[in-house]
Amino acid sequence: MSMKKCKFEDQIDNYLLNRLEGGDRDKFEEHYFNCTSCFEKMEERNELIATIKTRGALIFKEEPMPERKSFVPAFEKVYSFFTPRQWATAAISAALILVAVFGVLPQFKRSTPLFYLSENEAVRGESLSLISPIIDVRTAPSSFEWRQLGQDVEYKIYVYNDKLLWTASTRQTKIDVPEDVKLLMVAGEKYSWQVKAFSAKGTLIAISSKVQFQIRATE
Amino acid sequence: MKMVETRPSELNLDQVVEKYRPVVSFKVKKSLGTQTPDWEDVVNEVITQVIEKVKKGEFRGESSIGTFIYTITSRRIVDFIRQKTKVLKGIPEPAVLPDPCDDAESRERARTLAEAIKKLKPKFREVLDLYYYQELSRDEVAQRLGISPRRVSERLNYAQKLLRKMIKQ
Repeated sequence: MSMKKCKFEDQIDNYLLNRLEGGDRDKFEEHYFNCTSCFEKMEERNELIATIKTRGALIFKEEPMPERKSFVPAFEKVYSFFTPRQWATAAISAALILVAVFGVLPQFKRSTPLFYLSENEAVRGESLSLISPIIDVRTAPSSFEWRQLGQDVEYKIYVYNDKLLWTASTRQTKIDVPEDVKLLMVAGEKYSWQVKAFSAKGTLIAISSKVQFQIRATE
Repeated sequence: MKMVETRPSELNLDQVVEKYRPVVSFKVKKSLGTQTPDWEDVVNEVITQVIEKVKKGEFRGESSIGTFIYTITSRRIVDFIRQKTKVLKGIPEPAVLPDPCDDAESRERARTLAEAIKKLKPKFREVLDLYYYQELSRDEVAQRLGISPRRVSERLNYAQKLLRKMIKQ
């Protein structure tokens, strides 16, 4: 590999991270068809980025937060506050509220608004809605699922706890969670997720709401 | 840096195919995404078209052979997407990164690379995390870490140099 730097080299990251638009992208593509050095560097960089994208959750795993230790005594304090009977009443009330909020109220919601992007773009109709998980789960979810938004749509999913935990792209409406990501999702913790939909041209066409779920602490 | 201009008469088709198959594959995978099961067919069709066109004398050396093949590749991708969707008008935005993990050897390389990244000093790991994993811009990374954007690029480059070294060992 030559030591002399090619002026296109700086664009490798932008191209691989989909930050180059129309003409610039075409120029760069034509360039790497003509420049062995840039193509080799791009292949190497692509391997790095793809590895980081697929295994990042594990690679950049942070040390557990220190405040989590104080969680257990605090929980016990709260738990002993009520008698089991009072807890049962509270749980039933909470369940009824949940049913009202997630089951009954959405039925009264009017249909989602239509939106138009430009003449070339199809009208994508309804907003993007998430299917599961949307409330609490027993174990780390093995997949995420959402409603389809037309044909030829690329979906990008984001899972967060305090920060971005995992992100991935797919054309399906369901995505399996890699084992290493599942390991990062622990009982008792709250997580949220969101899906963005892109047209084949890469235009953002819909964003779902951020839905939170908790993995129930094992008893 | 630019490849030597090739005269049509000097063209060795076998060498051209051998050299450009990975380049064409990369572009096709980047444009269609590796989830598109037909991507390999598209690559083969491009290569076939290149051979046919060169044999028919359609490559006259007005552009480089790279540009000639790039044009054929781009057109074939647009046609492919038109056939599939029948509505799209332009070249699609690249869908996903070509997945290097599609065979055992690449998976092993990705595993080694991941291990090497874990062994980097935190200051290098954090730029890789923010820039490639969380996809912040160079300026955003600089702001987050309290260093200059130029320093961000230097760290990214140096991290890759270190990784290259670690993997060779």
